[in-house]
Amino acid sequence: MLNYTFHWNQAFKALPQMLDGAVVTLQIALLSMVLGVALALTLTAFRLSGSRILRGFAATWVEIARNTPALFQIYMAHFGLGNFGIHLSPFTALLIGIAFNNAGYLAENFRGALKAIPDTQARAGRSLGMTPIQAFRLIVLPQMLRVAFLPATNQMVWAILMTSLGVTVGMNTDLAGITQELNARSFRTFEFFALAAVIYYIIAKLVTLAARLLAARMFKY
Amino acid sequence: MKPSVLAFSLMAATALTSQAHADKLDDIIASGTLRCAVVLDFPPMGARDESNNAIGFDVDYCNDLAKALGVTAEIVETPFPERIPALMSGRVDVGVASTSDTLERAKTVGMTIPYFAFEMAVTANEKSGVKSFEDMKGKVVGATAGTYEAIALEEQVKAWGAGEFRPYQTQADVFLALSQGQLDATVSTSTVAQANVKTGKFPGIAVVGKAPFDIDYVSLFTNREEYGLINFLNLFVNQQVRTGRYAELYEKWVGGEVPNLSVNGVYR
Repeated sequence: MLNYTFHWNQAFKALPQMLDGAVVTLQIALLSMVLGVALALTLTAFRLSGSRILRGFAATWVEIARNTPALFQIYMAHFGLGNFGIHLSPFTALLIGIAFNNAGYLAENFRGALKAIPDTQARAGRSLGMTPIQAFRLIVLPQMLRVAFLPATNQMVWAILMTSLGVTVGMNTDLAGITQELNARSFRTFEFFALAAVIYYIIAKLVTLAARLLAARMFKY
Repeated sequence: MKPSVLAFSLMAATALTSQAHADKLDDIIASGTLRCAVVLDFPPMGARDESNNAIGFDVDYCNDLAKALGVTAEIVETPFPERIPALMSGRVDVGVASTSDTLERAKTVGMTIPYFAFEMAVTANEKSGVKSFEDMKGKVVGATAGTYEAIALEEQVKAWGAGEFRPYQTQADVFLALSQGQLDATVSTSTVAQANVKTGKFPGIAVVGKAPFDIDYVSLFTNREEYGLINFLNLFVNQQVRTGRYAELYEKWVGGEVPNLSVNGVYR
């Protein structure tokens, strides 16, 4: 049984501060997606390349990113690298940790999306006189992005939620960091955490909605 | 009404009312177990020995309290940020967790009179060039999130208008970051600073001086409305000092001059 009287007005007073934190959360998530997509495309290219070293590198990355906890990846970016004298600020460590994770999952997305496009299409393009690169860029890539887009928005939502792990590496400007600090000061745990959960939910919903609208516009046949 | 029916309803009524009057103190005594929230990442107040047993000042304090209540103690490991959720969800009865008695927190939980007092010390990475509290201006500093010193240090960094403050979730992470050079300096309680430097787990750090923050008085805490229990706890803290047990435990875990737990010129 919860033996607790809620003081909502105290929590609402801190709302502007928490919304500032939400902006930082969204920034990190967006940046991590931009980095993640760029890295994932590179990894996909590595996997398609003839070099065994590049293929092995990409496979290792994807394996680690997908099969270890995000908390571990972020912790390693801060304390793990710190052990070797590489000092990343909490913001950078969090960003790199999430981008690493995003890249692993998105590379798998892209691989799946590539498989969905029959080889015959690229061959048809080649028979029309396109170079291999042209055929990939003009025929395969646009279709791949279309197939991969909605699964990628899932990753974006996941990235937003992962930012809350930043508190483990000393992040105190994002939504989770600010919530933790407000909680430490006043001990009004349940109000602040409930409010933070609602804000995360709203951000995630808005992002999903925006992605749907964008997809409807961009990928019209 | 027959006398037997009357007697029965009287008995039932007594049983009911005594039920309604049972407070947390009664519940603890009746259950035979006292569950204490203790932070075990905070030597010498709370830690684990080689065989993973809970040890430390707070652990002994909880055991003493259980003995005074005539029950057995159960140590519930609770990280700093989870002290309140643990109490509110009924997983623990009392917090023996080095909790600073701020007014802001007293709006949420019931605080006893102080049972321990900390002085604050500056610990620095030897390469940072920090030799005193003032040297911390403009540097990257940090402390354990949710502690008294973290709140004070963050405000100090804001007042200086230079440098950066980073809160970490555990005391161990703070000293790890300090040892790696990710932090230049930290403020922690002097007892904790000494204990951590002594372990040798964090090379390259040293205690360099005192931090001019107010003395950090820490209280036991329980639910705000449990006056019966708070009253008992207050007397228990008083008795610990009176009987010399407080000084004995201080000598065992910390050593040196025993901090005074009363404030001059005011009642509590």
